[in-house]
Amino acid sequence: MTLLDAKLVSMRFGGVVALSDVNVHQEAGETLGVIGPNGSGKTTLVNVITGHLTPQNGAVLFDGAPLLGRKPFQIAAAGLSRTYQSVRVFSELTTRENIATALLDAPRPLPSEGVAETAEWLGLTPRFDARAGSLTLYEQRRLEILMRLVQQPKLLMLDEPVGGLSSAEVRATINLLSELKARCTIFVIEHTMKVIRELADRVIVLVAGEKIADGPPAEILSDQRVIEKYLGSVDA
Amino acid sequence: MNVLTSRWLPHAIFAFAAFAMPLVFSGNRYFAFIVGITLLSVLWATGMNLLYGYTGLMPLMFAGIAGISAYVTIGLSAAGWSFWLAMLVGSIAASLVGIVLGLPSLRLRGFYFTLCSLVIQSVITLAFVYFVNLTNGDVGISHIPLPELPGGGQLTGTSYELVLAALTVIGVVVLTLLVESGFGHRLIAIREDDGLAETLGINVTRQRLAAFFIASLFASIGGALYAPYVGFVSPRSFDVLVSLNIWLMVAFGGRGTIWGPVVGAVILAPLPFLLQDYYMIKDVVYGLLIIGVIVLLPAGIVGGWKRKAAAGEPAPDVAQKTAPAR
Amino acid sequence: MSDATIIILLSMITTGLMLGMIFSLVAVGVTIIYGSIWMPNAANGQFFLLAALLLWSASVSWGLHPALAALIIIGLSVPFSYALEILLIRRFYDVPNRNISYFVLSLGITQILAGIFSITYGIWSDQFQLPPLVGGLTMLGPFPMVNNRLAAMLIAALLLVALFTLLRYHRYGRALRAVFQNREAAALRGVDVRAVYRMSFVLGNAVVFAGGVLFACAYSFDFSIAWTMAITAFAIMIIGGPGSVLGALVIGMVFGLTQAAVSIFASPTIAAFSYLGAMLVILLFRPSGLFAR
Ligand SMILES: Nc1ncnc2c1ncn2[C@@H]1O[C@H](COP(=O)(O)OP(=O)(O)O)[C@@H](O)[C@H]1O
Ligand SMILES: [Mg+2]
Repeated sequence: MTLLDAKLVSMRFGGVVALSDVNVHQEAGETLGVIGPNGSGKTTLVNVITGHLTPQNGAVLFDGAPLLGRKPFQIAAAGLSRTYQSVRVFSELTTRENIATALLDAPRPLPSEGVAETAEWLGLTPRFDARAGSLTLYEQRRLEILMRLVQQPKLLMLDEPVGGLSSAEVRATINLLSELKARCTIFVIEHTMKVIRELADRVIVLVAGEKIADGPPAEILSDQRVIEKYLGSVDA
Repeated sequence: MNVLTSRWLPHAIFAFAAFAMPLVFSGNRYFAFIVGITLLSVLWATGMNLLYGYTGLMPLMFAGIAGISAYVTIGLSAAGWSFWLAMLVGSIAASLVGIVLGLPSLRLRGFYFTLCSLVIQSVITLAFVYFVNLTNGDVGISHIPLPELPGGGQLTGTSYELVLAALTVIGVVVLTLLVESGFGHRLIAIREDDGLAETLGINVTRQRLAAFFIASLFASIGGALYAPYVGFVSPRSFDVLVSLNIWLMVAFGGRGTIWGPVVGAVILAPLPFLLQDYYMIKDVVYGLLIIGVIVLLPAGIVGGWKRKAAAGEPAPDVAQKTAPAR
Repeated sequence: MSDATIIILLSMITTGLMLGMIFSLVAVGVTIIYGSIWMPNAANGQFFLLAALLLWSASVSWGLHPALAALIIIGLSVPFSYALEILLIRRFYDVPNRNISYFVLSLGITQILAGIFSITYGIWSDQFQLPPLVGGLTMLGPFPMVNNRLAAMLIAALLLVALFTLLRYHRYGRALRAVFQNREAAALRGVDVRAVYRMSFVLGNAVVFAGGVLFACAYSFDFSIAWTMAITAFAIMIIGGPGSVLGALVIGMVFGLTQAAVSIFASPTIAAFSYLGAMLVILLFRPSGLFAR
């Protein structure tokens, strides 16, 4: 079943073309990875799909319904959730209050046993009463994911979920994310090849706002063009 | 039962004090008047707290909204309406204006919102001066008739103060209920990070406008009752300095807490009366207070005390904190 | 056109130019401070009035020559600004969202100065008028011009040119602009950001003081000028674009000329309404101003 279908999406900021005629297609249950050098439009793609930006061109269907023109909160209510490239939690509130906030307007909130179980799985239970701003980056990253999971999204878009983490933490996050695949469909932007190679069922490559490749990770990561454009220019 | 009593105990004490004070001072009109003005100030500060404390916006047009309600109520009463009906219509009208004035809050943040609210307040004040046939301009309106009572007679003296006490207590209880409800939690989320709140499915626009409507209701009910109580209004009664004084009560007491603004109003509202003999230095004292709050007490009296209490507990592995806030 | 109309028109233009230059001066002072330290100084109107009142005291009560007194007063603004900077302003240099703290702080300063003025000068008079800097009239063709105003205009114009040159070409001006654009980058390039902050606060206030002194030389004034000036300077800064010196100059002149025209053809309330309205529109639809950097 097609979950996400973005067609011919184009986004310009003044003279800067951040996305040009990008097509993205994702099946339910399929993990889609997005790679591309810095500034290639990956975050912009997420911003467009989740209603934070209005593209000049294109159409986005989610679960069969058009998304463009809808507000971010409506898109969240439709079951499409996203995280941010730089971690974003309510740092003055406690972990517990952060979770409660995520549950406020969730259309299908996870029942409380489910919340407890998920928090336990993410290892956050001991930190429930700590101020979110006092958590480590790795804990904040997991809290971000927890706040999305209690809403039971159909699709979770993760923007560089291992950015800034140590290599041991990256390892642990990869394990968490592969378990996460059983809970919801994942769309993941990553810089680190390792993450994409281990997690993604399919990869798309963005370069300067254009999709230059789309296919299984093994094939894409050995593609000469990708290696030139991407591995040649970025430390991966 | 135990939980219930301890939760509402401060409210009960406050209600007791609010009703007792007018009775205690019923023999002395001057002191009773100070009590009445203080109660009104508590109501206003509580309303502004919903905006400044719980949505994080500093609105300087608060007094202007109170003024719109006061003038509408006076006008309708003069046209033969019952005071209470006039007050209802005036308050709702002014609160709808409050929503309109809240629209900039959807686009502007921090200083820009505050400046915008200051501009709006100045426009309202100019309008009060300009539309002489409605407001009697700078001269003001005096001999405002007292509200009539259902059984005949007028609301006056101690009974007026008791009505103010009742409304103030209701105001504080309503704010408590709101803040502890989902609405309050949504506002706090929006205050902390509106983008993230929206991403989590919260309708930021609707919550903000609702906050403006409710806070304006506090302002305008206070404004409608203020006019007959004092017996005189002019554009100066509702100018930017009044807004600033209400803000000061909230900031001084501690924004974002239920009791901070109440404490702030109880301390600051009687101040001009106490300083009456030193009338000249009133402005200087207020100026020093404003600077003192900003420099020394950014969280206010109650907020500062809360933070100290929290700092007493050991924060688990603060040293590990590596994450940038955003 | 009759001579009378021409005289009215001419006086409108000269008044407009004079007001415009004073508005520009004050707005440049305000915008320099906002652009560097993000302090929206609402007390600028009181500073303006302070300078004007001091000049009145010095020349009327103590009999100093106004020109000498003006120089001394502008000089005095330097230690005054330094003291404020050390006492209050520098505490907030690293506070996030400090512009709102600064705004409230400056409202506090406004209250204190307004209180002090009403205790001191308020008991003397409510209208203040200085003896003219220079006497006599100059005939511009058949039309008489008051020398005193011409002199004030000349000085204001010179000040504006000097200020613009300083900001454009001097080392300090370049450092200031670097900080305006990007303080982190400026710090990395070795600009002493805190020194620039301090200099901007001192220079900005000195310019506001100069505006007050010049205004006092040319016009009689009362306390209400403080509030009017504060609102006007803010409106100019917001419309021109906060931190934009060019914006402050251009919009200041536009405001001066409209003010002069409007006060002849309509009521001052209408003028105030239109300023506030213009400011609202800009705030809502183009918050970076017309001359955004
Ligand atoms: N809000 C914005 N305004 C202007 N330009 C933007 C904005 N967001 C992104 N861009 C530009 O669009 C391009 C793509 O950015 P982004 O999507 O963040 O890249 P990535 O996430 O792949 O690193 C960059 O050139 C960036 O500067
Ligand atoms: Mg990105």
